[in-house]
Amino acid sequence: MEMPAAQLQPSRANVLGSACAWSAALPFLALLALGIAFPLFGGGYWGLIATRACVYWVLVSGLNLVVGFAGQIAIGWVALLTLGAYTTSVLTAGNVTPALPPYLALVIAAVIGGVFGLILGLPALRLRTFYFAITTVGFATIVTQVALAWQSVTGGGVGVAGPIFPPPFSSPWGFYYFCFGLAAICTWMTANVAASRFGRALTAIRDAEVAAEASGISKPALLAAVFVFSGAVAAVAGGLFASLQSYITPDAFTLDLSVLFFIAILIGGRGSILGPLLGTILLTVLPEFAAPLVAWSTFLYAALLLVIVLAIPGGIAEILDFKNRRPLESHRAIIPRPELLARLLGSPPDAGALTLEQVALSFGGVQAIDGLDLEIRPGQVHGLIGPNGSGKTTTLNVISGYYAPQRGKVSLNGAALPLFSRHRRAHMRIARTFQTPRIVGAASVLENVMIGGTIDGAATFVESLLSLPRHRRDEAMLHDTAMLALTAVGLERLAPVRADRLQHSELRFTEIARALMLRPAFLLLDEPAAGLSAEEIARLGALLVAIARAGTGVLVVEHHPDLIFDICHRVTVLNLGRTLAAGTPDEIRSHREVVNAYLGG
Amino acid sequence: MWMTRRQMLASASAATIAGGLAKPAIAANEPILIGYLPALTGPSSSTGIGINRGIQLAVQEINAAGGVNGRQLELITRDTQSDPTKAVNGAAELTRGQKVSVVFGPVNSGESLAVVPLLARTNTPQVHPCWVDSLTDPQKYPMCFRNAPTNQQIGGAANRYVLDVLKRKKVAVISDTTGYGTASVNAYVPMLKANDADVVYQGNVDAADPDLKPELLRMQSAGAEAIMPWSVNAGFLSRIINTRGDMGWDVPIVGQTTLGSGQTKALLEKPDYWAKVYPNNFRNVCYAPGGKLSDRTGAFLDRLKSAKIDLGDTLLWWVALGYDSPRMIAEAMKNVGPEPAQIVGFLNKLKGFPGVYGDISFTPEQHNGYPDDEVVMVEANSLKDGAFNLAPGYSA
Amino acid sequence: MIESIVSTGVAIGCIYALIGITYTVMFSASRVFSFTAGTLGMLGGVLGALFIAHFGLPVAAGLVLVLAAGASFGIVTEIVAVRPVLRSLDQHLYVLSTLALALMVQQFTAIEWGTDARPFPRLFDIDRGGFDQQLWLPMLACIVVIVGLELLYRYTLMGHAFLAIAEDTYAARALGLPERRLRLTSYALAGAIGALAGFAGGEMLLAFFGNAPLLTFYGFIPVALGGMGSNRGAAVAGLLLGLFQQAANFLVGGIFASVAVFTVFILVLLVRPEGLAGASLQRRV
Repeated sequence: MEMPAAQLQPSRANVLGSACAWSAALPFLALLALGIAFPLFGGGYWGLIATRACVYWVLVSGLNLVVGFAGQIAIGWVALLTLGAYTTSVLTAGNVTPALPPYLALVIAAVIGGVFGLILGLPALRLRTFYFAITTVGFATIVTQVALAWQSVTGGGVGVAGPIFPPPFSSPWGFYYFCFGLAAICTWMTANVAASRFGRALTAIRDAEVAAEASGISKPALLAAVFVFSGAVAAVAGGLFASLQSYITPDAFTLDLSVLFFIAILIGGRGSILGPLLGTILLTVLPEFAAPLVAWSTFLYAALLLVIVLAIPGGIAEILDFKNRRPLESHRAIIPRPELLARLLGSPPDAGALTLEQVALSFGGVQAIDGLDLEIRPGQVHGLIGPNGSGKTTTLNVISGYYAPQRGKVSLNGAALPLFSRHRRAHMRIARTFQTPRIVGAASVLENVMIGGTIDGAATFVESLLSLPRHRRDEAMLHDTAMLALTAVGLERLAPVRADRLQHSELRFTEIARALMLRPAFLLLDEPAAGLSAEEIARLGALLVAIARAGTGVLVVEHHPDLIFDICHRVTVLNLGRTLAAGTPDEIRSHREVVNAYLGG
Repeated sequence: MWMTRRQMLASASAATIAGGLAKPAIAANEPILIGYLPALTGPSSSTGIGINRGIQLAVQEINAAGGVNGRQLELITRDTQSDPTKAVNGAAELTRGQKVSVVFGPVNSGESLAVVPLLARTNTPQVHPCWVDSLTDPQKYPMCFRNAPTNQQIGGAANRYVLDVLKRKKVAVISDTTGYGTASVNAYVPMLKANDADVVYQGNVDAADPDLKPELLRMQSAGAEAIMPWSVNAGFLSRIINTRGDMGWDVPIVGQTTLGSGQTKALLEKPDYWAKVYPNNFRNVCYAPGGKLSDRTGAFLDRLKSAKIDLGDTLLWWVALGYDSPRMIAEAMKNVGPEPAQIVGFLNKLKGFPGVYGDISFTPEQHNGYPDDEVVMVEANSLKDGAFNLAPGYSA
Repeated sequence: MIESIVSTGVAIGCIYALIGITYTVMFSASRVFSFTAGTLGMLGGVLGALFIAHFGLPVAAGLVLVLAAGASFGIVTEIVAVRPVLRSLDQHLYVLSTLALALMVQQFTAIEWGTDARPFPRLFDIDRGGFDQQLWLPMLACIVVIVGLELLYRYTLMGHAFLAIAEDTYAARALGLPERRLRLTSYALAGAIGALAGFAGGEMLLAFFGNAPLLTFYGFIPVALGGMGSNRGAAVAGLLLGLFQQAANFLVGGIFASVAVFTVFILVLLVRPEGLAGASLQRRV
């Protein structure tokens, strides 16, 4: 009776999923139809504006992945537009190399753009937000200065003629269709990335970096991919821009333009494709509507940005998010289905125990852990309790690789765990949750859980870009697994809901579902019961017991002694970084020192 | 189909003129549309603002006198904001949207470089006052005419003054890092060298650099006998003049017309620093050796005074250039009609159109209409009512 | 030649240092870098020219008004662009809100004041030549601010409170310090310092709206290289930057000087992201 219903859930979700997919695609299809039919009702002037909007969108679509998804404040991206424009123009003009056909020049520009996108973006890995923003501004200035100075190649102040594409793209409307086609392709590609594990991983890096690391997401590799892509399309946009302008000079590449691109994304909303698309169209078209407004356009963009940041941080995308305006049920219960765990977690892995031997770690003058021994065996629930400041969370952070112990050994099945490699833990099937839930608020619950399975995807970034079969298989697999995990923890009805609408307790269970995606050999939980009602704590306990029974070794750091004594096979009590007592729950409950120091009464 | 754009301007005179333009003629004939692409805002807007004052006055006068063959002229303005992107947008709107008969402008070279090919594609006649040499090409752009001098003419006059009149051989050429500045230095240094000058210093300096003393010291130690700055940035030019004065270095400064503008004057540390500064200017708008303006120009100045057009913060030749342009276009239309081919045909045969700014002539092979000998050098500190005296040693 | 490069380099370095201190004071109070620091410098010059040259006010009155305007803009920044986003968990928002505010003010200035550099009045009616006031005014301002801040932090209750907030906001709050009022006051102080930088450097940089992006960038370099939170580090780095820039201007010329500055900046940052004098960050998991 229970099983068939559970089996029904995933396929129903799939049907709903495809209905959702169609409604999500509708605005894009409408824009596509509008764009194709545009010459029928728009005059030549609006054709130029529309072409310009398409060119800008080619750049913004790539930048969207950097700014909107990865959350990097790259303000000076006009540098790549400049680079692409000059590369294409110089190659077709033939004053440095023999004149190349425009399409080839565009491809070469894309390659160079990719390389420089990487160079421009790499400091993001080392620098903090504001610092990185300033360096991108500096880069934009540098590129313009170089264009001015390198007169033999770029023509200096006098500039160089833009490329002319051969028929049928040489007429204004022909060129419009060329740019529109490229814009449509870019929309499709970035939408594919957005709906892939890479897109979700980017939002995880942006909003919950710590959780992303714990899920095995490698920030450098992912950011590198996005910067290369973004640089390449920006350079292509540059080539198109040069053709549209017929002639480029350094003064056409102003910081105002860079700000326009950046603001279009923010107004559109981060983590969205449709939002920035509408934002770009809006900001391109707006100054054309009223001549007095033209001088004030940058002022208005900035004012709009301020309003968005303060009032509607989600931008246009948030305004259009009708799905998430529907009220949620007010009395929601989390009812886990532990019986599904066997199917989710599969057969128990052959891992040995996770052992800590005489581990010690101090911060400055404070000895956080001093000679700790701990052993977590598969199939068992091990509790770690103690007063505040006794080193519980630190222990967890040492195991999950955030801190390296100064003395002692942490080993898995006898082999020492590598130090400072928190993003490798996921590959070793060590999963964890956090003291404060680290969730991507702007994404749905389902997407948050799918983030947990990122490392299980097989498709490469390029395959996702082009929506090749392996990408689609990945998505189906991750979707089904995540739904199963959500059903197992009891949150399947909230799957499509935006995560920041959830109650605190639901977020905690979401984190558990995310951790379960790894099919972990070891699951580390940091105060999972904090903020839960008594009913929910009981259900949590049952869930953790079932997880252990499926073969996972569970370590629970907690403040609720009742929960610990109920579900744990073994308990370790910490005090001031040292083991105060270790044993079965019964032994601990009656241990005199533990009672005095901690349990009271 | 689309809205008519009017650019409302800040100056009081423009407001009265615009008021005059607001109502087209009662006659059943439609107005003749003239597209206009000035840079009225943005970093390079001083020229555009000056030209604008003249153009508005001219259009108002023409319309008050009955227009062109009974049809009123209507100026359709799109402010380019000193941005080539907006200039292209504006040009597209004027030609494909508003369907103007002829376009005047843009006034900045960077914008013109982008707009000229577009206007050629739409077969719209164009008259522009930009200096960059490559902006006219009777083969490639048969409908594009320039009613101002070229960079070659400007540089040539300045170089001749330094070498032949002041008889200095060691020259320092300096400009800022803008497109105009770098293009000018690139054009003028070879011209100097071809005339046996010794270019002892050649540099592009960031206009925002607050201290130009190292540059001038370098010029001095290289033995420069004249400084030739090429920039439209009043701050930059004033710093050069001020530094020369602070150093007490007695060499002439010969160069861009903006050396003599009211804005540059306002930024000088001492009024006497303006001595021995010789900017380009144009014969018709200068005081002849007797101290008098030509009748044409005198009458023009009177008209400006009665229209309350301010000259204190701009240059007379900008206003004059603006004034001449619609009059030349109106002349063409009056004689042959407003069709593109007609206008181009007329302009190709134009001989000595009597503008206040200069006498313009074109041929089918020569679309640069300004005569060589009307480019002159003047004395900056002789500024009065927007006009200057010719520089010393200049033959009439 | 050398003396010109050194004197101008130190003078302009002092202006950069003061903007760097503006950034730092704002950062100490809120853990936020504000894009408005460079705009404050620009306003100091523009408003100084407006009050003294345009309206004809005496120099002292002009200075007081400029400082008041700077403090007001600092307060506006805190209320409008910083306080609302501190509440949210999203770190990036403050970059955007302060950027938006800075852009609005810059554009407004460009439209109302004009896009040309306009003259800044001569403050003291002394003859030029030798060690001119253009040069020693920024130096004097820098010394006054640094000494003043040291005295403030060391000897006044308010200064101690500022340091407490900078060190550990939670502990400070637990001690009962009025965190919000202190932050507001810090921003007002930073605003005044930024405006002073622009005012003292007005004759050199002229009253020009384009000084805003210039000072935003060059004023941040001392902060990044000198280590955040350190006024002294910012001052030293500012001076070095000024000297380096003038030397580069002289040696390689205008275009390449900015390339040189930027390249050195980014290389140093990549090698030591926390700056030359700063401490590494602690993780918070």
